[in-house]
Amino acid sequence: MLRALAERQGVHPTDEDLEGVSVFLETVLQRLTDIETALPPETPPAGEPPS
Amino acid sequence: MSIAELADRIGSGALTARAAVEESLRRIERAEELNAFISVRPDRALEEADELDRRGPAGPLHGVPMAVKDVLDVAGERTTAGSRILADNVATRDAAAVAALRAAGAVIVGKLNTHEFAYGAMTTSPHFGPARNPWDASRICGGSSGGSGSAAAARLVPATLGTDTAGSIRIPACFCGVTGIRPTTGRVSNRGVVPVSFTLDTVGPLAPSAEDCAVVLEAIAGHDGHDPTTADVPVPSYRDDLGRGVAGLRIGLVRKLVDRADPRIGAAAEAAANELAGLGAHVDEVEVPLLDEAATILQLTLLPEAAEVHLPWLRTRLGDYGADVRVRLLTGLLLPATAAVTGRRARRWFCDQLGDVFARFDVLAAPEMLVLPPKIGEDTVELGGERILYRLSLMPTNSPWTLAGIPIASVPCGFADGLPVGLALAGRRFEEATVLRAAHAFQTVTDWHARRPPVAFDDASSGGVYTRSHSEKGA
Repeated sequence: MLRALAERQGVHPTDEDLEGVSVFLETVLQRLTDIETALPPETPPAGEPPS
Repeated sequence: MSIAELADRIGSGALTARAAVEESLRRIERAEELNAFISVRPDRALEEADELDRRGPAGPLHGVPMAVKDVLDVAGERTTAGSRILADNVATRDAAAVAALRAAGAVIVGKLNTHEFAYGAMTTSPHFGPARNPWDASRICGGSSGGSGSAAAARLVPATLGTDTAGSIRIPACFCGVTGIRPTTGRVSNRGVVPVSFTLDTVGPLAPSAEDCAVVLEAIAGHDGHDPTTADVPVPSYRDDLGRGVAGLRIGLVRKLVDRADPRIGAAAEAAANELAGLGAHVDEVEVPLLDEAATILQLTLLPEAAEVHLPWLRTRLGDYGADVRVRLLTGLLLPATAAVTGRRARRWFCDQLGDVFARFDVLAAPEMLVLPPKIGEDTVELGGERILYRLSLMPTNSPWTLAGIPIASVPCGFADGLPVGLALAGRRFEEATVLRAAHAFQTVTDWHARRPPVAFDDASSGGVYTRSHSEKGA
């Protein structure tokens, strides 16, 4: 799936690249779940730069 | 000798800009083993010094040799960003910050080593080789402004410019034992800087002292009508404010980070806070909300922004990136779009809560890094009795302040195993003056920032600005 998604964007990673990406993504997505749960629903996005 | 003193000497005719630049070039040549520089421009620097000598005083950096991280454009020179992809990229114009340095009278002598595309904290480029730490050449300088930290610590130039997206000024300043300040995001123009992240990138100085940083920051700070990411907020005189001291300043010591650090580093940070209390600051312990979440929130912003910047090259030059940067960029490419939005919302959440903390404190203090610099080639460090990835070790002390875009300095505050240790001092947005004031007050009663690594050059005068002998003042 990761390869297909990358290739759809015109990027062609190697197997080794995707192995590293998979580990990194897994870590970030696990922690993202915790943040999604705790984030107050009424919070708007930060401006740029954050106000 | 401070930058102000050096500029005064050149301005008064006691020394020529040419002599100052010649000495800097000699030092760079003799300290080649540090690999701090990617390129040096001796002929042009000397021509520019001669021109300054003919014209007379140009500004507060008159004749001062400086070097900039090789992500900042210098007209007519290569900007490689430590990459193979930009190896032959010659800039046609100065970056705004470089132009500001020149307008203040500085002479740019060269471009400094960086982690590839400023996207990593080791400065061990597979394309240009590792920048080495002047305190122990077998160790990294940190990064991504590793060359900036190494060159400033070894006194190859009186000051350098770096950039900081997620710690890249503070980390090398800490590991190399110099002072560095990441100004408020939007305080200094990013025009002419190879970007990592449009909402996080920040240009700032590294130099031995807070006073030196104040002089340089004052020269480069301010609104740039051609860079919509800069803020139109008046720039005070950072130098004039330095002497105000810290009496009455409310400083919050971030206990959680002190306790999480290598005990020797934690003890140094606590001792530094006590010094500030001794100078009249009100120091209290503080708990910063969402400290543990900040690293992930930062990644949710940084990963997709960096991937977006690099997308054209990811399509055409993927094999030309080093492995670590390639994986980071691809992760950003493949992160779900909703994660980036959640990241921006969580960033607001964090900033709001940090704002509450800054209603009670003027400055926050914490260790700049939890660990000492690892050996070149090692990507793990020991922390809390276990070995963890180096890149994970730097997040707790750098991500929170980065997310909020607040000014933060790393100030030398001790040594462990002969390696420098840094204290982080953070302030409210656009209150660089308060951060620098606290850093300067600390440096008036300590000499950590004045200690020199074994390979540093001594800038005591010998009829000129510099001597050519190696210092014997190592810690």
